[in-house]
Amino acid sequence: MIAVIDMGMGNLQSVCWACKHIGAPVTVASEPKVLEAAQALILPGVGAFGDGMRNLRHRGFVEVICRQVKAGKPLLGICLGMQLLAEEGEEYGVHQGLGLIHGRVVRLTASGTGERVPNIGWCDVTITNPASMLFANIPSGSSFYFAHSYYVACEHGADVTATIAFGSITPPAAIQHGNVYGVQFHPEKSQDVGLELLYNFWQHAAQHS
Amino acid sequence: MVRPRLIPCLLLKNGLIVRSQLFKVHQDIGNPISTVKRFSDWNVDELIILDISSEDYHDLRRDDLHQRYAGSTVLDVLRAVAQVCFMPLSFGGRIRSLEDIRLRLSAGADKCVINTKALEDPRFITEAAQRFGSQCIVISIDAKRHESGQYEVYSNRGQHPTGLDPVAWAREVERRGAGEIFLNSIDRDGSGAGYDIELIRAVTAAVSIPVIACGGVGRYEHFSAGILEGGASAVSAANIFHFYELSYPFAKKACREAGIPLRESRLTSRWLQREPIYTDEERDRALARAKVVEYRPQSAPLPPQRVRWCTRCVYPSISAAPLEFDEQGVCMGCRMSETKNAITPEEWRRRRELLRDILEKYRCRDGSRYDCIIPVSGGKDSYFQTHIIKYEFGLNPLLVTYNGNNYTPTGWRNVHRMKEVFGVDHIFYSPSVTLLKKLNRLAFIIMGDMNWHAHVGITTLPVRIAVQFKVPLIIWGEHGYLDLCGQFSMDDFPEMSYRDRLEHFARGYEWTYFVGLDGITVQDMIPYQYPSDQELFELEVRGIYLGNYLYWEANEHGTMVMERYGFQISPEPFERTYRRMSNLDDMHENGIHDYLKYIKFGYGRCTDHVCKDIRAGLMTREQGIELVRQMDHRKPKDLYRWLEYVGMAEEEFDRIADSFRDPRVWQKRNGIWEKANIWDECTADDTTAAAC
Repeated sequence: MIAVIDMGMGNLQSVCWACKHIGAPVTVASEPKVLEAAQALILPGVGAFGDGMRNLRHRGFVEVICRQVKAGKPLLGICLGMQLLAEEGEEYGVHQGLGLIHGRVVRLTASGTGERVPNIGWCDVTITNPASMLFANIPSGSSFYFAHSYYVACEHGADVTATIAFGSITPPAAIQHGNVYGVQFHPEKSQDVGLELLYNFWQHAAQHS
Repeated sequence: MVRPRLIPCLLLKNGLIVRSQLFKVHQDIGNPISTVKRFSDWNVDELIILDISSEDYHDLRRDDLHQRYAGSTVLDVLRAVAQVCFMPLSFGGRIRSLEDIRLRLSAGADKCVINTKALEDPRFITEAAQRFGSQCIVISIDAKRHESGQYEVYSNRGQHPTGLDPVAWAREVERRGAGEIFLNSIDRDGSGAGYDIELIRAVTAAVSIPVIACGGVGRYEHFSAGILEGGASAVSAANIFHFYELSYPFAKKACREAGIPLRESRLTSRWLQREPIYTDEERDRALARAKVVEYRPQSAPLPPQRVRWCTRCVYPSISAAPLEFDEQGVCMGCRMSETKNAITPEEWRRRRELLRDILEKYRCRDGSRYDCIIPVSGGKDSYFQTHIIKYEFGLNPLLVTYNGNNYTPTGWRNVHRMKEVFGVDHIFYSPSVTLLKKLNRLAFIIMGDMNWHAHVGITTLPVRIAVQFKVPLIIWGEHGYLDLCGQFSMDDFPEMSYRDRLEHFARGYEWTYFVGLDGITVQDMIPYQYPSDQELFELEVRGIYLGNYLYWEANEHGTMVMERYGFQISPEPFERTYRRMSNLDDMHENGIHDYLKYIKFGYGRCTDHVCKDIRAGLMTREQGIELVRQMDHRKPKDLYRWLEYVGMAEEEFDRIADSFRDPRVWQKRNGIWEKANIWDECTADDTTAAAC
C-alpha cells in the first residue's frame, strides 16, 4: 500500500486516483502512524515551502518520515514534496527542510530568453541517469507537466536523475538518493508517462517490501 | 522550454456537456464522464471545463446509462470527472468566493477559471492568487467585436457589456495576480470561422502571462494561427472536438505539421485504455435486478423535476435523446428542423458539391478496394443511401449488414434484394444465435434494452469491415440525434465516433461488460469489438452522414425507393407507430425495445415519428397528441416471441422492466404506475392551452 501524506494543503485526490488507476492500493495518511504500515510513501504538495514544513511538523510527520526512510522505505516527493526533501528552502524566508537530500531550494529566474516564472506547462525531461528506476520504459525527452517557481539545487550532481532546460540553467526534474526520490513535475497530471512513472515507483516498492 | 498546448474546452450545463453558439444556443452533446474519458484516451495536454448551468442542480436525465455520477451538484460532476482525468484540469463557472475555489480544487481541479466575479470585484483576483497561488487562477475574458471595430469585455456568459477594453482589462488582471488568461471571442463562438487573431494579438502583446485563445475554430488548420499569428501560449476550442472521430489527435497532427512543437503523445498506452474496466461487483449489482423482487436503484434521490414538453412538437424533457429547450420552450430538434428547412436550394447544391469532393477523395483509383462502405439494414434509408452513392455519384460501395436475427419477412426480402437491384457486393453478417439469445436476455436485465447487441453491432461491424478491407470511408444515412433532438447544428457536419457509439448506442456498456457472464468469451464478442484508435488513426477512417449534405425527408425517400426499386413496406400496421416503413429489419425495435423506452421515459416511437412529422408540416400538434395518446403506451405482441426466444416469463419481464421506470417521470399510486401526460397539460393549464 502507498500512503499519501496529507499536509492539509492542496489536492491529494489526484495523486490517489492516479495510484488507483495503476493498480496500487492507496490510502491518505492524515496522521503519522499510518505511514508505518505502508510499503511506500508519497509526499505530494502544492504551496509554499515554509507552510509545507510547518504543517508536516505540526502534524508530527517529520520524525516518522525520517525514521521510515532510514529503515529503507521508498519515499517519492512530488513538486513541493520534492523540494521539502532538501536541507533548506528560501521561499518567503529561509526554512529548514527534511534534509533527506543534500541541497537547497532556490528561486527560478528568467534569463530573458522567453521563459517565465512560475514555470507552468509541459516541459521535455532529459534523463541524465539512464539507470534510474523511476524512468524505466520512459524515453528521455518525454514531456511532463510542471507548475513551480523554485527548484532543488542539489549539492551532489549524482543525486540528479533528470533535468529540464530553463534558459541557461538545467534544474533537476527528478532526484534520487538511495530510497528517497523526488520529481519536480506532477506525474499524476502527466498522462501516460506520468502514470508509467508512478507504476515504476510502486513496482519497485512492492518488490522491496 | 514550455511547450505550447492544445486544450479542449467543455461546457457543462445542468449535468450534460453542451455545444454552444454565440453564447446563447446550447445543444446537448452528452455525458461529461464519457466525454472526459475520451479526451483522456487521446492523451490531451490539458482540459478546461466551464459550468454554464442556469440552475443549481446537475442531472444526466436518464438512469439506464453505465457512466453516471453520484449526486446532483457541480462538485459531484467534478469529482467523477477527476477520476478519469490524468491531465491538468481547469474548472470554471459560478465561482463567487474563495470557498468556491477551495471546494473545486479539493474536488480535483488544478486551476479555477474566473470571469464575472473578477469583473465585479477585481480585488478578488489578488485575494485568490495570494491564497491559492497565481498558477491556479485563470481569468476568463469574453470579448465582443463591435461593428466599429472596437472590442468590449462582457460579463455573465456574454450577457452584460462592461464598457471595458479587453487589452486594458488583461493588463489589470495580470497586475492583480492572475496566472493565465482564457480569452474567448463572443462573436466567433460556434461560428467555425477561425480565431479573432486581431483580438488575440492585442492581448498577448499587452501581457506576459500565458494567454489561451478560444472561440471560432471550425477546422483543424485554424488552431495554428492562434499561436503563430496571435502569439497565444495555448489554443483551445470546444465544439470541433465533439464532431469528428479522433478530433484531438488529428488537430494535434495539423498543428505539428504547421511547425508548432506541441507535446508528442501516443494513442496507445496501457494506462489510457479506451475500453472501460468493469468490476465483478458492479456487474453482480446490475444482474441483481433479475433476482430481487422490489429492486431499488442505488443512485441518490434526485430533486423532483416536472416533465415538460416542447411547445411546438410533443417531445418531453426527460428523454432517451439528449434534448435542450430554448427560452421559448421550443426544443432544439424543432429549432434545427427550422434551420434545415431554411437552407436554400443553392446551399444544398453547395453541400452536394462538398459531398462530391469527399467521395472523389476516397474513390479507389486502382481497383484494389471498394470505394466506400454503406452499412445497410435493408430499410428505406439503406435503399436511398445506396441509390445516391451508386447511381448519382457512380461509386462502387460494399454493403454491410449486421443481422440481429429479428428481421420481419418483409425486411428480410428487402435487405436481400439490394445486391440484385443495385448490382453491388453485400456482406450479410450473422452472429451466433446462441450468443444473441444470451445478449438479449443479459442486456435487458442490465440496462433495460434487449437490443444492445443490435445498436452496438450496427455501429461496430461496418467499422471493423472498413479497417479489415482498408476502406477509409463509411456512408451513414442521417445523424439520428441531429434530426430528432438537434444535438448538432447543420453547419457542424458531425461524423461517426467511438464516443457516440459507446455513450448513446451502447449506453456506456462496452462489449467487455459481457465477457464472463453466461459463459461469454472475448472471442464470442468479435462482432462488437471496435477497431483501436491507432488503426482508425492510421487508416484515417471517417464515417460521414448523408443527411448533412442532402435534403433528407424520409417519407419522400420511401416513396421513391418503392417506385424505383420495389422496396416493400409492412403489410400490416405496427402497434406502436402509425408509420409503416421504419424498422422492418428488427421486429423488436418498434416493439418491446420501444415499449421499454415508454417504461423508462414515458414516451415511445409514436412520439418520435409525430415530432418528425409535425416539423415536416405533415400534421398538427393536436393530431400528433391524439396519436401519442393512442399508441405510446401499447404493450406489443412481439413480446411473446421474445419471451420464448430467451426463455423468460412475462411476469419476470414486467418486474424487471418496472425497475427501470424513471422516478422523474413515474410515480406509483395505489399500486398503479402514473405519470403526467402531454394532454393533461392542455386541459390543466390555460396559459399553455393556446399552444396545444
